[in-house]
Amino acid sequence: MAKYIVSSSPHITSKTTTQKIMLDVIIALIPATIAAFLIYGLYPIFIMVLSVGSAVLAEWLFNLITKRDQSIKDLSAIVTGMILALNLPPVVPFYVPMVGSFFAILIVKMLFGGIGRNFANPAITARIFLMLCWAGVMTNFVKPIDLSDGMNLFSYFENIVNIKLPDAITSATPLAAVKEAIAGGANPAEGLSALDMFLGRIGGSAGEVSTLAVLIGACYLLVKRVIDWRIPVLYIGSTVVFTAIFFANSGYVGEYVWTYLLGGGLMFGAFFMATDYATSPKAPLAVTIYGIGLGFLTVIFRKFGSMNEGVSFAILLMNVLTPLLEKIVPRTFGVKSKWITNSQKIKEFFAKLGKKNKSEEKEAQNG
Amino acid sequence: MALKTFRHGVHPAASKFTKDVPLADFPVPEAVYISLSQHIGAPAKPVVNVGDHVLEGQMVGEAGGFVSAPVFSSVSGTVKKIVKLPTAIGQMVDHIEIENDFKYEPFRLPKLENPTKEEILQRVKDAGIVGMGGATFPTHVKLSPKDPVDTLIINGAECEPYITCDYRLFVEHAKDVVEGTKLLMKALGVEKGYIAIENNKPEAIKIMKEAANGGVEIVPLKTKYPQGAEKQIIYAVTKRVVPAGGLPAQVGCVVSNTHTAYSIAKAVFEGETLFKRAMTVSGDGVEKAGNYWVRGGIPFTFIYDTLRGEVEECMTNKVINGGPMMGFAQADLRPVTTKGTSSLLFLSHKQFSEVEPTQCINCGRCITHCPMNLVPRDLERAVIKKDIDRAAKLGAMNCIECGSCAFICPAKRPLVQAIRLAKKEIRSRGKK
Repeated sequence: MAKYIVSSSPHITSKTTTQKIMLDVIIALIPATIAAFLIYGLYPIFIMVLSVGSAVLAEWLFNLITKRDQSIKDLSAIVTGMILALNLPPVVPFYVPMVGSFFAILIVKMLFGGIGRNFANPAITARIFLMLCWAGVMTNFVKPIDLSDGMNLFSYFENIVNIKLPDAITSATPLAAVKEAIAGGANPAEGLSALDMFLGRIGGSAGEVSTLAVLIGACYLLVKRVIDWRIPVLYIGSTVVFTAIFFANSGYVGEYVWTYLLGGGLMFGAFFMATDYATSPKAPLAVTIYGIGLGFLTVIFRKFGSMNEGVSFAILLMNVLTPLLEKIVPRTFGVKSKWITNSQKIKEFFAKLGKKNKSEEKEAQNG
Repeated sequence: MALKTFRHGVHPAASKFTKDVPLADFPVPEAVYISLSQHIGAPAKPVVNVGDHVLEGQMVGEAGGFVSAPVFSSVSGTVKKIVKLPTAIGQMVDHIEIENDFKYEPFRLPKLENPTKEEILQRVKDAGIVGMGGATFPTHVKLSPKDPVDTLIINGAECEPYITCDYRLFVEHAKDVVEGTKLLMKALGVEKGYIAIENNKPEAIKIMKEAANGGVEIVPLKTKYPQGAEKQIIYAVTKRVVPAGGLPAQVGCVVSNTHTAYSIAKAVFEGETLFKRAMTVSGDGVEKAGNYWVRGGIPFTFIYDTLRGEVEECMTNKVINGGPMMGFAQADLRPVTTKGTSSLLFLSHKQFSEVEPTQCINCGRCITHCPMNLVPRDLERAVIKKDIDRAAKLGAMNCIECGSCAFICPAKRPLVQAIRLAKKEIRSRGKK
């Protein structure tokens, strides 16, 4: 008799799937990838291939060994691999992205239960892990390939398709320059060009340098509603506010604000890493605390920390705080805010008190 | 001006394929089976004997209590026997089998010209009027609220995909809906009556605006699911928030359905008892999808056989009584039409979703789309852990079971289904 399928409603579901969301993130990472290629050549792409390959391989092996259903088709390992590659300096030894991806996927993601259950953003944690392992390599930023160095279009092209390890012409990142300015009390924007920083013609991590490319990808994510706009807006906004507060006496507030906005991994971190589903809270109040906390910690780390950059540490710390923030539950529709009920109770209490006083007065008069 | 709406919610595809098909009389089989349980509350008690001759619209079952309603024969003919049949929600219930003599000799209550408040209330009770959006709560109970009310809202949102019967009532019977609304307002003693319609039905809004008079106002609402949920529509129209666990009357509102308003007008001015209703039949499984005046007690099998046409039987893979978001899937076609059968969908594999749940990715979409602002993710986790206390603490009982969470979930997790389980468990604990 069971001719028809019987199930509990709803009988229809939206077309959004985990795989489609991950595909959207991959698409959103493409502008930053192209920017890395145009700025540093083919080498960062080679690193990305290694990183993505290792991430997928790690997840595949883990599932195979622990006899779980294969989960690589949800594409999330590719996303982790790409984000990690874009977080690395453009030129690193080949084993760095491989170790990083294995760490991110095996330790941070799969051991904690796979997608949605990682305790922190896998790529960020891997970046910090690599920084601890190979501090020198991880802070060695090559110069962008630049037409102004007496290069013509042909030699530029020759340069960007060159896979061999480029000569290590290291370049100071804008944040390193800012750090020196903090110590010396000089103008942090000295010698920095806002346009170069916006386009990415600076030293830095492969995917983070071009603010423009990051913003293009971010717009895609926002339009597709893949990420919650409140997190990046609160993060970037609070970074501006806290920078202004902490550098109020420096005499260069404006300069600090724009160098902090365009330098380092703030934009990339705010849109692609702080918004990681598994490690960001969902209730509006919790999101506000999370976003402001990120901005606060970033400025603290950048100003007072021993390293130039603070985005990774800020995100890692707030990730770890997320389970606590998740205890904040949104107020159910129709449930009155505690503030209102408490204030009502207080009013009622005083009203009663007033009545009592009056009746006591009356009694006193009568007595 | 921004359109009136509620917070959160989802946007399922409208799929209102039958919207331009006018209401037509549906053929009647040789025998009808009048369910004694066509409403929420106590079942009706049979008042006819085997062999009795009954008229169309004559009462065959009287109300079994205050929260109950009488049921009526939908044809004239002979009472054959009482049979047990499954209802659309799967309970076995007594049905009165009546052999159709195809004469349709009518039984009508006396017409009321200018009824008083009490007369309207009595008529609503006598005509067996219930909430016809699907919940089938007896209307006379709703019209006797404990708290003072000042606002009546007629729910014409019709936010469920596929269903178009209320839309047809607006377009074809605007006057009756307005008159019914005025009768409801009079019965409640309120000055303000709103008819709320989603703005994806511009024609209905236009026609109703022309027909509206005497304190009845047409309110266009943003097209969003579940716009027609009681608490959500009250918020959308009046910005009043019904307290959690509370009733609309606590914020001075009563919500009624479009078809209910129409049926009240029919009951008062024409003395017609509630024995037939407008209904949408749609889906790939039937050739003649459309809107029909369907008498009570017609087996779903008969409806399917009448409308299937040339379409292969294998094109019907899921049958839903109600809409695809909250309706009930049918195991077979034995149930019959009742006062609450607003639609019957014969869906092919393409038209419903058959996806396996995958691991939660913690995206929070269920939280940001829940119209009640609950946390379906945590509720489901609590249910999986069989931690019913935690589910209760997270407000499982406030869930309106609209299914927005399970609809939007990218991992396709059965979220609302889990919450339903929790609610059932909590209720059964309360009874102990």
